[in-house]
Amino acid sequence: MNAAPHIQERVLVIDKDAARSALLEQALNDQGYEVVCRLDDTEGLINRVEQIKPDIIIIELDSPDRDVLEHMATLNTHIPRPVVMLAESGDSNTIQQAIQAGVSAYVVDGMSPDRIQSIMDVAAARFREFQALRNELDNVRNELEDHKQLDQAKRLIMKHQNCGEEQAYQAMRKMAMDQGKPMTQIAKNIISVLQMLD
Amino acid sequence: MTILHNPALATPEKQQISLGFLPLLDCAPLVIAKEKGFFSEQGLDVSLSREGSWASIRDKVILGLLDGAQMLAGIPLASSLGLGSPKVPMVTAFNIGLNGNAITLSNPVLEEISTLTDQPVHSAEGLALLIQQRKENKAPKLTMASVYPYSAHNYLLRYWLSAAGIDPDNNLNLTVLPPTQMAQVMKKGQIDGYCAGEPWNLIAREMGVGSAVISGYEIWNNCPDKVFAVTRSWHDAHPASHQALLCALIQAAAWLDQPQHHEEALDLLLKPEYLGPALSILPREQLSLRTTCFFRYAASYPWRSHALWFLYQMQQSGQLNQQIDLKQVACQVYRPDIYREVAHAMRFPHPAIDCKPEGFHSQEWVLQGSGGAVTMGSDLFFNGATFDPNVC
Repeated sequence: MNAAPHIQERVLVIDKDAARSALLEQALNDQGYEVVCRLDDTEGLINRVEQIKPDIIIIELDSPDRDVLEHMATLNTHIPRPVVMLAESGDSNTIQQAIQAGVSAYVVDGMSPDRIQSIMDVAAARFREFQALRNELDNVRNELEDHKQLDQAKRLIMKHQNCGEEQAYQAMRKMAMDQGKPMTQIAKNIISVLQMLD
Repeated sequence: MTILHNPALATPEKQQISLGFLPLLDCAPLVIAKEKGFFSEQGLDVSLSREGSWASIRDKVILGLLDGAQMLAGIPLASSLGLGSPKVPMVTAFNIGLNGNAITLSNPVLEEISTLTDQPVHSAEGLALLIQQRKENKAPKLTMASVYPYSAHNYLLRYWLSAAGIDPDNNLNLTVLPPTQMAQVMKKGQIDGYCAGEPWNLIAREMGVGSAVISGYEIWNNCPDKVFAVTRSWHDAHPASHQALLCALIQAAAWLDQPQHHEEALDLLLKPEYLGPALSILPREQLSLRTTCFFRYAASYPWRSHALWFLYQMQQSGQLNQQIDLKQVACQVYRPDIYREVAHAMRFPHPAIDCKPEGFHSQEWVLQGSGGAVTMGSDLFFNGATFDPNVC
């Protein structure tokens, strides 16, 4: 354990995706940061930010609530300001990478650029990781859907042609090769035509 | 009016262009320029990126992740001054449209006002009486919202309130909300009024939570609202690409100005990649492009006097405290000279001057422009005020 005095930044995470913000909270905790609050519902956002008094707010880049935070930043109080403000003095590369990952942040004056950078790096990495997981899940879902359709098309051929499974499969394969189309497309076409005949 | 589609301008330095927009009806010139092939006629391959907030548009343009974008007119000015963002000079040579906003008050507030006065609600005087009464009764202050700190919505709302003697900073709470949330938040009683673009005022009426009391047009006839902007460094590096973009946007604005195109325009705008999901709560027949003026009355011309009006409002509202030469800022950010080069090449009549006084014309008037006469619209303020750009 490092016994050196350490200032804990108060981090507020605003994300409609509760699973992603849980992942981010864990990652920030592992790095020694304290997430004071996670918001997935931003009703009364201004009051909540005033109560929580975070040093840094991590928020999804595309969130419409960012414009509410922009308004807060114009008020003359100890309120976090858009991190893009640091682009001219600090490391704009970090900010650019975070924004490409879909992360944006609001930070209070006086927070050290190193700390901001490190928190944003953690957030950007988690957002990217989460996006990769989501893409993978989408792929698995699509594969499952494709598989279902191939099966349905095969059963429709077996019924209409009164043939076996292997024969039905070979017929579909041949059609795919002859027409130069993917099997899934052929399956969809077969389903739409043969279902009409049912 | 004839507009030359392919004027002899220089070849664009950059052809692959990415532009940002927010899912609002007045992103129409960008969508139409893409869908009707006006960008590709200019040799540009433009992709449109739907963004979630004005902050996101500003950040991406500043960091170069977008080449340009639809913006609230105050954003390129604020960004050039370093207000709320790093000081990144921006330029605009195209005003996206005139009008399109309105102020909505909640039904409870309208009812309370009706017990206090017979005055028509389009003046904020009834609201002023209600604020006074609430103060005497030690009731909480009313809260009103606009869509962004540096927006025509914010300035029009403040202007309307101030004209009735209401101090927008002390007599009520002013806040910001995304337009999509306005009616919902009003229903919960958390805001009492707001200024937003259409269809977000229609939605309050549709939900039975409030009614529009005055349109942006009534507050200031043909007031500007949004612009197309790029950073100054982007413009300096790609002057011909900028001109090509402007050609396509001007063509799109002229196309949109013809009512017989509105149905087709709405079909294109409602595609899922543009407004589709954002507007699905409203019946199609309630959507109209008529409230925004895209081309007639020199609507797409970037008047420096408009920039000065916005800068003046920034000063009035305390957003801009530095002593600066407003005219110099207006000249650096608003670039009618670039618009004129393009209009000249496209051979259509356009204004030859940079500024015009506001609040003097109660009906259409004729401006002697370059290449012919330009019909201009009325420019009155609802309280009879005038704005002379020479006194700033």
